[in-house]
Amino acid sequence: MECPHIPSISYAQFSERLHKQIIAQRIPIKGSFELTFRCNLRCAHCYCNLPLNDQDAIGKELTTEQVFSIFDQIAEAGCLWLLLTGGEPLLRKDFLEIYAYAKKKGFLISLFTNGTLITPKIADYLAESPPSEVEITLYGVTKETHEKVTGIPGSFKRCQKGIELLLAKKIPLRLKTMAMTLNQDELLNIKEYAEGLGVKFRYDPELNPRLDCSKTPCNFRLSPEEVVKLDLADEKRVKEWREFCEKFLGPPQSDNLYLCGAGISLFHIDPYGQLSVCMMSRYQNYDLRHGSFHNGWSNFFPRFIAQKPKSDYKCGQCELIALCSQCPGWAWVENGDLETPVEYLCKITHLRAEAFNIKKL
Amino acid sequence: MDFLDKVYKKSDSIVFRKIADEFILVPIRQNVGDLESICTLNEVGARIWELIDGEKKVREIKDKIVEEFEVTPEEAEKDLIEYLQQLEGIEAIIEG
Repeated sequence: MECPHIPSISYAQFSERLHKQIIAQRIPIKGSFELTFRCNLRCAHCYCNLPLNDQDAIGKELTTEQVFSIFDQIAEAGCLWLLLTGGEPLLRKDFLEIYAYAKKKGFLISLFTNGTLITPKIADYLAESPPSEVEITLYGVTKETHEKVTGIPGSFKRCQKGIELLLAKKIPLRLKTMAMTLNQDELLNIKEYAEGLGVKFRYDPELNPRLDCSKTPCNFRLSPEEVVKLDLADEKRVKEWREFCEKFLGPPQSDNLYLCGAGISLFHIDPYGQLSVCMMSRYQNYDLRHGSFHNGWSNFFPRFIAQKPKSDYKCGQCELIALCSQCPGWAWVENGDLETPVEYLCKITHLRAEAFNIKKL
Repeated sequence: MDFLDKVYKKSDSIVFRKIADEFILVPIRQNVGDLESICTLNEVGARIWELIDGEKKVREIKDKIVEEFEVTPEEAEKDLIEYLQQLEGIEAIIEG
């Protein structure tokens, strides 16, 4: 921003400066909001997607006004970074209204989309009133691979068209993918494709069960060995992992069950107004249709995040916990209880530690 | 026209937020801000922002600042004019 005498600092500096205050004052600075669970794609590994025209889902979704009211409340509480996601958020007919309202509230918005529903009208709108970032998920560089994952013919071409529309309008874009058995052979090609377009890229190889605890997505998991092999094939990724470990590794600093920022600076809201401490922990929620965000944040969450393990919680003593995606929410959807380690994640973590020479095993 | 007789109002292309102890300006429209940086205001800057209401003259804002903060009228005037020009430059405020 061209304001030399008004202090203009980088997001990184700003985040760092803000971080201490946020933790100390417990400010809900970062939220994610699923505008719908419905999606026009049928991705094999998805943890939440419902059919495009699911009438039950449509009937339960928050109305435009209810979304606005929640935006008012979270802005008041201090939310700055807001992720709009789904399902496919662009499926909502009122998406642009919702987006415009979120911009007016002064959120820094990220938008996750499959890219297939981006029209010139939407691209123009986003160009005029830009988000901080749009992330499009691309599952392959060929129609065959991408559509093997999405299950919808024509989705590859429409996704590419969406990418082109955003790039033409210079909207900040990042590509990402989930690495799984269906597309692992093209992972490197997707990365190269993104680099060729001059956009950032990231991938995630850790698939979790569906929110209803169905294990279907797990059928497409790479083996822990394959996950680490992918890490090692990328020098930059290994370097980032090592730096992360140097900074954060060690025994947990708390004896709570929750060891992350969930409910301290983070929150999540689903399409039906259910407020949870994060995107992964949905087994106990606070209903925003019958109570205020303030009440959920100030009265429901503190009790929730202060939970102590009821048993001898193995992960609560693990020095590698910061390297691991293990959390009570994931344990719930995977194992049906909060404290049983997710074996798949545990294996990946120990293999990573060994591969990155972090801990002599 | 004397700068001190001007009246400014906030534009709808930027949103003022107070989060924790930070005062920040979040751009809504294209060209108002780049995405790598964020504008923060100090306490005086935030107070001035509050005082910009489309009715008060710059002179009145200056008087308030002199009254509320430890600053001479000369310093306040110089800084205020510079600050308002910058805010105008990034389309955060408009005359009228």
